[in-house]
Formats: sequence, structure tokens, C-alpha cells
Amino acid sequence: MIWTIGGGKGGSGKSFITANIGICLSKLGIRVVLIDADLGGANLHTFLGISPPGLSLSDFIKKRVSHLREVLIPTAIPNLQLLTGAQDLLNAADSKSVQKRKLVRSIQSLESDTILVDLGAGNSLSVLDFFLMSDGGILVVTPEPTSIENTYRFLKSAFYRRLKQSVSSSSVKALIDSAMDQKNEMGIQNPHDLIRAVRRMDEGDAQRIIEEAATFHPNLILNQVRSKKDIEIGFSIRSACLKYFGIHLHYLGYVVYDQDVVNSIRRRRPLVLENPRSRAAQCLMEIASKLANSH
Amino acid sequence: MKGIKDQTYYEILEVSLTATAKEIQRAYEHAKETFHADSLAVYSLFSGEEVKEIQEAIEEAYRVLMDEALRRSYDQSHFQMVGGQPPEKPSEAQGVSRGKKTSLSFTGLSFNDEEGLYRGKTLKQVRERMGVELQTVSKETKINIKILEWIEEETFEKLPALVYLKGFLKSYAQSLGLDPQKVTEEYIRFVEESKKR
Repeated sequence: MIWTIGGGKGGSGKSFITANIGICLSKLGIRVVLIDADLGGANLHTFLGISPPGLSLSDFIKKRVSHLREVLIPTAIPNLQLLTGAQDLLNAADSKSVQKRKLVRSIQSLESDTILVDLGAGNSLSVLDFFLMSDGGILVVTPEPTSIENTYRFLKSAFYRRLKQSVSSSSVKALIDSAMDQKNEMGIQNPHDLIRAVRRMDEGDAQRIIEEAATFHPNLILNQVRSKKDIEIGFSIRSACLKYFGIHLHYLGYVVYDQDVVNSIRRRRPLVLENPRSRAAQCLMEIASKLANSH
Repeated sequence: MKGIKDQTYYEILEVSLTATAKEIQRAYEHAKETFHADSLAVYSLFSGEEVKEIQEAIEEAYRVLMDEALRRSYDQSHFQMVGGQPPEKPSEAQGVSRGKKTSLSFTGLSFNDEEGLYRGKTLKQVRERMGVELQTVSKETKINIKILEWIEEETFEKLPALVYLKGFLKSYAQSLGLDPQKVTEEYIRFVEESKKR
């Protein structure tokens, strides 16, 4: 099972959440591989309290090692390994579909039960493709306007890209590209307008789009919540996505704002190990158990 | 994937066809909170015009689904039109219940009325929309009916001491499926502001 963690803004806590959920899962006896694909700042190792690794995915791609498992970095935590090589991973995702799938297959062939990929911020095509290729995409958002705005931007890009990949007609693909621009000449403001426009061009593609939207179920984690009102924002985002995209976003849970988080990051010690009884650690364990149950 | 105009009232409020009055009330509160003009969750996704359209649809869906006769007539006409069977009557008895909350497990959702405050008349309005008698609330919460009347009528001079009032408000809110903390805080704030005036 491959989960990708992306979307939102830099600093929303994706790496922190990836590292700690990975540890929680490994403590449940699940074999976990964490992949650091954050181009902006690959530092998942810091959240795990280990030094910058020497081996990376590029050693495998350049055939310096024969098998992907040889570039896995062991950690002090049983069942948990780390794989770095963000640049190579996302370059590969930029390349042809066949190569992308080949790499994904290699990753899937690793002896693990769960793979968590920290995609970092940004919505480049390679990041979007990796998000869409995984078994489950997780968005990490903080209850702030800028974070929510960026998450919607990411979601919109991923959504339209997925729709584009599902249709066959090149004119419909071009229409979807145009629809991404809010000021497009066709007056397409939202996915409902898009379907109406596609229906006029190709009924089959319109149907494919509807079916594709129905199977797109991204997940949401709300980080740094400070009040009950903040928690409710997660439900509101879920409802807004249902009305706007027609998609069922799964609200996986929230992580409370906690000074223990800041302290654990400063000490380079994972929160769930350093202070498992803290409120934030409890939230992370709850989310991890939901992921574990989805196996 | 339907636009707001093509959605049924049940879809607009995100409730099942057999939703009880309490579930509809809770869903309405959530929808109002979500599609509020200043809501963080919608401002960057929908245009002002779209939000207004959704707000109107929410109000209309709530008005119809909370009225037993209107709902029955809507179900009959709508489901006959689409060739389906009207939904079964809600399985949970309408009105107050001591039952545990079944949805939205990690929060109680709440809404503000137009004046942004839970006050006596708001509570009365919600209760009446749900078709719940004050006597039933009294029986359910074991609060003297007179006190419930004073709470609804905002007869502040007769209300019990603050410490007791908080407990009563909490129980009353729970019996209607409202957020007890929010109701208590807002009602107390309203009392204090009224006294100052």
C-alpha cells in the first residue's frame, strides 16, 4: 500500500506527520518504508533523528546497486526503513509513463506493508502524477486561509489531471487544460460547467469523467488545530469538496497544536517516541490506526 | 457529480433519505457553518454568487425537510418523478432522544442564527422546527418546565444562579442535538450583555 502525503503549503507539517505516522505504524508491527520526495527540503531523516543518508535512489537508477532494497536506510526503529532520492524519484515521475510505472513497481516490490511518500509542497506535474499513482493521497492542511487555499489549488490540479488522463478525445483533453484557467473563454468556472461542456463534445468522455470523479477519494489531515472550531473546518472542507468537485474527501483526523511537537523537533526526536502521551502524539496514533485498518 | 440545482434536498444537506429531524437539524447547522460568507473552507473555492446560491438551496432544503407535510409531498413528487420509491419513515422517533451521537464523531457541530448567538428565542425556534414539545424536553432532561420556559422566554430575573443555569443549558442543548458548550457560552454571554443594557 503506497500513501503519498502532499498538497497544502510548505510548513503545514507533512514531513513531521509522515515520520511520526510511519513510526506509529511500525510500532503496530507493520513493515514501513518512508520515502523522502520533498524537493524543496528533503529532511525526513531529521524528523527520525538520523544523519543525512549516503545512499539514495539514484544509486539504484544508475545501477550502482542491483536491487532497490540495498539503498534502504535502516533506522533504530524496528520495521522502519528510509529511502531518499527525491530528485531521482520525481524526475522519473516526469518521464514517460512506462518508466514511472516501472519505478512504482520496484517500490511496491520492496518487502514492506506500507510505503509513505513525503511529496512536500508544490503542485508540479511530477508531484501530481505521483499523488495520483499512489493507492491513497493524503493532504495535510492547517486551519489557515493560505494553507486551505493552496490545498484547493493542489486538489484542483490533481483532479483535472486525473480527469484528463481518463478521457480519450484530444479536444476534450485540451478543454480540460483550458478549464484549469479560471478566466477561460468558455466560461467554465467549476467541474459541473466542465461536464456540461464535455457532454456537448463527447458523451462517452463526459461519462468517463463522472465515473473518474466518483472514484477519486483523497484523504485529509488537519494539523495544528487549536480549537473545536478548527476541527470543524475539516468537515467543512469535506462538504465544500463534495459540492464543488463532487468528490468524497475522507477526513482522516486532526493533530492538535502542541508545544511538545516543537520541543520534539528541536531535539530531533520523533514525538511519538519522545512523548507518546502528549495530545498530538495521541492524535497521530489515532490516524495511524485508521491507516492500519485500511490494509 | 451534480450541480447544486440538480441535487435533491437530501443531497444538499448531506443526509440520508431516512434522516430524523435531529439529524437534519445537525446537518443544517453544519451546512450553514460551512457555507457562511466568511467561511475559510469555501471562500477560495466558490464565487460569492455560487455561495449565495448554495445558501439559498440549504435554506429551502431545510424548510421542506423539517416540515413533515412538505417533506412527504416532496418525497412523493420527487421520487415518483425519478421513478423510485419514496423513502421509509425515519426509523428513529422524531424528537428528543438520549441516544449517542452517531455522526461526526469527533465534534459537535453548531451554527449561529442571523444574530450570531444562541439565545432563548433561537432555542425555542430550533425545538419547534424539530417538532419537540417543551414537556418532552423537561421529561428527558429532568429540568422543571418553568425553568425551560424562562430560558426560552429570556426571563432573566427568574433564572437560577449561573452555576445551575449552565448545567440546565447544557442538558437542554444536548437533548436537541446542539453543541452544549457553544449554546451555554453564547446564552450566558447574551444574558450578561442584556443585563448591561
